[in-house]
Amino acid sequence: MKRVFLLTFSFLFVLMANSWAQSRTVTGTVTSAEDGIGLPGVAVLVKGTSTGVVTDFNGEYRVTVPSPEAVLSYSFVGFIPQEVVVGTRSTIDIVLEPDVKQLSEVVVVGYGTQLKQDLTGNVANISGEDIESTPVPTFEQALQGRAAGVQISSMNGKVGQGMNIRIRGGSSISASNEPLYVIDGIPVTSQSPPSTSGAPTSPLADINFNDIESIQILKDASAAAIYGSRAANGVVLITTKQGVAGETKFNASVQYGVSRPTGRREFLNAAQYIELFQEAAWNNDVRDGFFADVVNAENPALIPENIENHPDYQYSWLEYMHGTFDYLAGDTDWRALETDTDWNDIAFQDARVQIYDLSAQGGTEKTQFYASGGYSDTDGILIGNRFERIAGRLNLNHELGERFDLGLTVGISKTNNFRVSDDNQFATPLQLVAQAPITPVRDKEGVLFDDSFNPAMFYYPATVELENSSFLTSTYRNLVSANIVYEATDHLSITGEYGFDLLTQNEDRYQDDRTIAGRSVNGYGSASWTRIFNATSRVFATYANSFDIHNVDLTGGVEFQSSEMDYSYVAGQGYPVEDLQKVASAAEIVAGETSLTEFTFLSYFARANYKLQDRYLFSISGRVDGSSRFGTENRYGFFPAASAGWIISNEGFMDNDAISFLKLRASYGVVGNAEIGNFEHLGLYVAEPYGGVSGLRPSQFRNPGLGWETTAQFDVGVDFGFFNDRLTGEVDYYQKNTTDLLLRVPLPATTGYEDQTRNLGALTNQGFELALDYHIVTGSDFHWSAGLNLARNINEITDLGDQDIIDNGSSSYLNVVKVGEPIGVFYGPEYAGVNPANGDAIWFVNGEATADGEAIFEQNGRLVTNNYNFANKVVLGNPSPEFFGGLSNSLSYKGLELNVLLQGVYGNKIFNGGGTYMSANARYEDNQTIDQLARWQKPGDITDVPQARLYSNNGAQASSRYLSDGSYLRLKSVTIGYNLPADFLNRYEIDRLRIFLSGQNLLTFTGYEGWDPEVNTDYLASNIFLGNDFYAAPQARTVTLGVKFGF
Amino acid sequence: MITKFKNYITLSLVGSFLALGACEDRLNIEPAQAVSDELVLDTDARVKAVLIGAYDILSDGDLFGGGIQMNGELLAADDELIFSGTYGDPSQIWRKEITTTNSDVADFWMDSYAAINVVNNVLSALEVVDEEDRAVVEGEAKFIRGLLYFELAKFFGQPYSAGNTTTNLGVPIVLEPTEEINESVNVPRATVEETYNQAIADLKDAEELLPIVNGIYANKVAAAAVLSRVYLQQQNYVEARDAANRGIEYAEAYFNLVPNIEDAFNQTANSQEDILAIQVTTQDGTNALVTFFATKSAGGRADIEIQPLHFERYEEGDLRADLFYSDDEGVRTEKWFNQFANIPLIRLAELYLTRAEANERLNTEVGATPAEDLNLIRVRAGLEPIEDPTLEDIINERFVELAFEGQKIHDIKRLEMEVDGFAYDAELLVYPIPQREINANPALAGQQNPGYE
Repeated sequence: MKRVFLLTFSFLFVLMANSWAQSRTVTGTVTSAEDGIGLPGVAVLVKGTSTGVVTDFNGEYRVTVPSPEAVLSYSFVGFIPQEVVVGTRSTIDIVLEPDVKQLSEVVVVGYGTQLKQDLTGNVANISGEDIESTPVPTFEQALQGRAAGVQISSMNGKVGQGMNIRIRGGSSISASNEPLYVIDGIPVTSQSPPSTSGAPTSPLADINFNDIESIQILKDASAAAIYGSRAANGVVLITTKQGVAGETKFNASVQYGVSRPTGRREFLNAAQYIELFQEAAWNNDVRDGFFADVVNAENPALIPENIENHPDYQYSWLEYMHGTFDYLAGDTDWRALETDTDWNDIAFQDARVQIYDLSAQGGTEKTQFYASGGYSDTDGILIGNRFERIAGRLNLNHELGERFDLGLTVGISKTNNFRVSDDNQFATPLQLVAQAPITPVRDKEGVLFDDSFNPAMFYYPATVELENSSFLTSTYRNLVSANIVYEATDHLSITGEYGFDLLTQNEDRYQDDRTIAGRSVNGYGSASWTRIFNATSRVFATYANSFDIHNVDLTGGVEFQSSEMDYSYVAGQGYPVEDLQKVASAAEIVAGETSLTEFTFLSYFARANYKLQDRYLFSISGRVDGSSRFGTENRYGFFPAASAGWIISNEGFMDNDAISFLKLRASYGVVGNAEIGNFEHLGLYVAEPYGGVSGLRPSQFRNPGLGWETTAQFDVGVDFGFFNDRLTGEVDYYQKNTTDLLLRVPLPATTGYEDQTRNLGALTNQGFELALDYHIVTGSDFHWSAGLNLARNINEITDLGDQDIIDNGSSSYLNVVKVGEPIGVFYGPEYAGVNPANGDAIWFVNGEATADGEAIFEQNGRLVTNNYNFANKVVLGNPSPEFFGGLSNSLSYKGLELNVLLQGVYGNKIFNGGGTYMSANARYEDNQTIDQLARWQKPGDITDVPQARLYSNNGAQASSRYLSDGSYLRLKSVTIGYNLPADFLNRYEIDRLRIFLSGQNLLTFTGYEGWDPEVNTDYLASNIFLGNDFYAAPQARTVTLGVKFGF
Repeated sequence: MITKFKNYITLSLVGSFLALGACEDRLNIEPAQAVSDELVLDTDARVKAVLIGAYDILSDGDLFGGGIQMNGELLAADDELIFSGTYGDPSQIWRKEITTTNSDVADFWMDSYAAINVVNNVLSALEVVDEEDRAVVEGEAKFIRGLLYFELAKFFGQPYSAGNTTTNLGVPIVLEPTEEINESVNVPRATVEETYNQAIADLKDAEELLPIVNGIYANKVAAAAVLSRVYLQQQNYVEARDAANRGIEYAEAYFNLVPNIEDAFNQTANSQEDILAIQVTTQDGTNALVTFFATKSAGGRADIEIQPLHFERYEEGDLRADLFYSDDEGVRTEKWFNQFANIPLIRLAELYLTRAEANERLNTEVGATPAEDLNLIRVRAGLEPIEDPTLEDIINERFVELAFEGQKIHDIKRLEMEVDGFAYDAELLVYPIPQREINANPALAGQQNPGYE
């Protein structure tokens, strides 16, 4: 990207400087010290004159110099400039050394580009090179740990599924907290299309991220306000690769690897399972007064031998449990421990990853192109899960005469997501861990066991789902943008742009008569089809000029976006044979619907940048947005921002060798959020039939005054470079105040409505970010650089109107919205462990005891209760991390490279929503986590695991019992690469050949006892439901070997 | 050439600038799947469609689509059934360890009031209903409202039989549609007495207004039948007897006991015994009773197992004892087997049993003798008639005949019996007011039910 821009810039520069003092001609080649290859686009200037040229595609130049005393200067961004006296030479070849200086980078900002050193806002910049060849399906995953203040986390380890991205914390409770994604200038659809499974998919997985040149993340209001109402959660600008004039160059890469889960959870084996569940049943009997004559007074949990002969055995819980074991053991003998299935292993598969990419770039001075094709096939680690993508791209630039530039980018892709059910379905592979270890996978004839057809289970198993169903989500995606730039004068250009994102998704699902959905209806199938057409048109003008010490850069324009979604769905049941899986073969159509929804935005935007004496920077911007999502009363919002920067290092008094760059900057601005449903301001009735007759019922209470949610953000930062920019960095402090929250305010249900979307309430995010880059060693052979980013975000709900708390509507989870606390804070009863006297689970009362009697008593100086309802709720922890960041190291020695990225979060908690089943002291027949063996057995036992009581809820309610620390540090990626020497390759006419071995998620350091601490169960994930585990698949640990070559 | 381009392109850029600015109209978008509330209550057909919407809510799985009946049965389990499923909310109800965040309880509350608001809207727009249909529309609306206030009173208020009905709290009473959201929507709980009185007033009106035959919708018989339930709950046997008697008299020419008891269940169209049934088809409606009671091959979750103790209620030869089956995990009731079948809400059989019980208690023979009524039910079930039944005979018959249909917990409460070791008036046999409601409605401060905070 850098080179492309520089090439364009340099051309312009040279075109302007065309006074010719005819004298003598010097020719030569400029090459890079890095690879010895000719550098195109290097500016060659005769010092002190306005004469200059730019090197051609091969790095060659020809320049006319006035005299032998003339000095030629060679400059190219990213390299240390050189000056030479011409003397008598007619050929001057130059080798430019790369410069570690980073601050002169060009970064993409909204509707334009800027030099990084001139930025007054906060923009994180990630180059495509940093993330290419990362063996994950979606680029957000590859961004993890790479940008300060950008927290990226997967919901689980299913491939191609939704992600959570928070830039400087969540700024909304009910509207979206995801950033706006803009690809080559066009806002794209980033929210999951409707799915027949509850779990969201990531539409960004349709993008082949090896096509990405750079990613800019606009974080503060000054950078983002040009996107106005869309920018409250930050903006992610993605620029794809462009063609470069010159000989056509090809790049090809092949990558192959394998994946396994990052972690596992330990469950009981067969012997332990039998022991614990027998005890649970026995405890019930003892309570009911059974077996009174043989109960061991010392340890009443002990079951005497030959108990089957006891007269109480008949009709006892113990007999019931033994009968249950007989059932669960299928055709094997549990008494002989014939079966000991580790269901953890059954849920996972040996997963392969393969990625193939081929790209070409080249062109002439007038026309450049970039073309690519890529195929990737990624198995999920869960059985039956796979993600396949084929993608092509063509980017063209054409210069039409001197005044016009045309640009076209076309990206087309098809993805096939072979999906598994959401985390809350028996059919999801990881729920297999609930099966008993005494149950075999198959019977002796090889038929799978299940809960109905060949019964030996209580829960429908994913094994049957996998063999008897198909669930494919296929998506076709076209991302197209076209623009024309008219250079009206040297300083004024007008750009017209049109682009669209067309997403067509098909979901095909079939479940035959052995599956849970199909067995009572002789097969069940459905098909859905979604089309989202999201189009943007805009016209804007840019004026840039400098007058003496003043630099001015003005931008202004208008933009219209509309997005329309069509959806249809049909389901049928009753299929004659498994081979016929389309709904056409169904005996009966049982569901069908079509729907249409749309939103539009009309926006006007303007920005002025002013630079004085190369050191004082000012910027103001404003945007007016109108949205169809709001009522006419408050339809338009105005979003202004202002910022200033002071490049202290350019001041005369700052003549300091150590400090190469120092800039102070501050910004303040207002951005908005309109990411709610399309019609939430209207009072609506929807059609609901009853008994075959059409009916109407209210669905939503009107709020004609509904308007924008606004976030005012203040940011102050320092950018610095020391030792000729060997050490560079930025430190920022920010404060984001969000007011007029688009809040789904709970109403008394006695109104007939559960809630109403209102502009009510406020929250704040504040924090700091630190980003450092240090070129530790920059020798010619050995190079070592390190980068660190670290962020702290403090989120606090400051106002909810009349309410103090909005609970989550579920008795199984703890997240709430509460004034004075971060969004989604865990709030509930505090678990106090076990009453040593009787094995009851107890909770701290934490406050006034409202009840009397034996339910509340004192233990170790604190009031506790065995009645869950008597325990007052308290704040138990934050699901969002206090700190998060990444540390990268990159080393190279000659052709050998090593890149290491560590990523981590600190200070968050994880709630195991599955604990109520899997760590519930043998409440249900679910296999239990190994820690449940520490259950209370006899008076005096001190433990956290209550007495096992079959079918009895002894402590399995949602409480801090299932909360644990979610901090982790992860070896996110390690890549070892070797670049074969150029002179060797040249013999075979190959420019570059790189062999690399890369590992993802190789090591995870965490105290979390679940599968993986990067988790937020997919069936539930929302702004409020954060940090919950529920049979969520862990991340994949992937090792790949790849070859990349250029010719 | 280039100049031409220049003019052309400049013109189109300026043109697009203006064209984009003119897109303002496109900010007005109407939804395609919903209609504005302003357009709904202004014609006869639309008001009637809204009334259908109220039935749709009534048929929700949280209400009479099965949630109310099933959770009532779980509360009344008494070792006759166990809930072995993994859904936490019904399990809490079965164990009488209900938390204030129980979502079955909250959904029951929320959906009930959603339906009440819908019928309040209908009642507010009666003047646009065609005159000849107005009485029926009003009657159906009031029937739905009365039925729901009665259900809410039974689950969220202390039992009527526990006395103190003018101080014990029932539920908030809302009789007007919600027009604005302001402080007036924060309605506190009325007393048990007031809630019952509202139910009675609505049901009396409904009985008067409704025709005896009204398709699949509420009718005169249903109104009388629910009234008889209300009075029975109040231990007001005179009114209960008379209401049941009126119901039977209305029903005479139009409804009959089905000859085979098994034909009273799992029917895809109302049986002739169904005074009122929730309509379920393959395409619409939920049968939550099948979801929880039925075996997996029938589309259920097989969560509720019937225990041996239940069978002690059956006499030798009782055909109703055949309405059970076993799967590998346990014994299940066959009353809830077809997931696409209607759910009977009021069967004619219940009216006979109510009339018999009230007559027996009052020592009267209004309509028929207790023996006549009782034996109708017994003979159909393949049992010998009892010549001179005792109150106990009648009540046991009621428990058997109406088993798993959602009546047991209320019978236990009005008969002041015990269940699972809890007295009929135990605090934990009453649902808590949902926490979300207490959070959202300041008027409920301090009105949580005893035993829950």
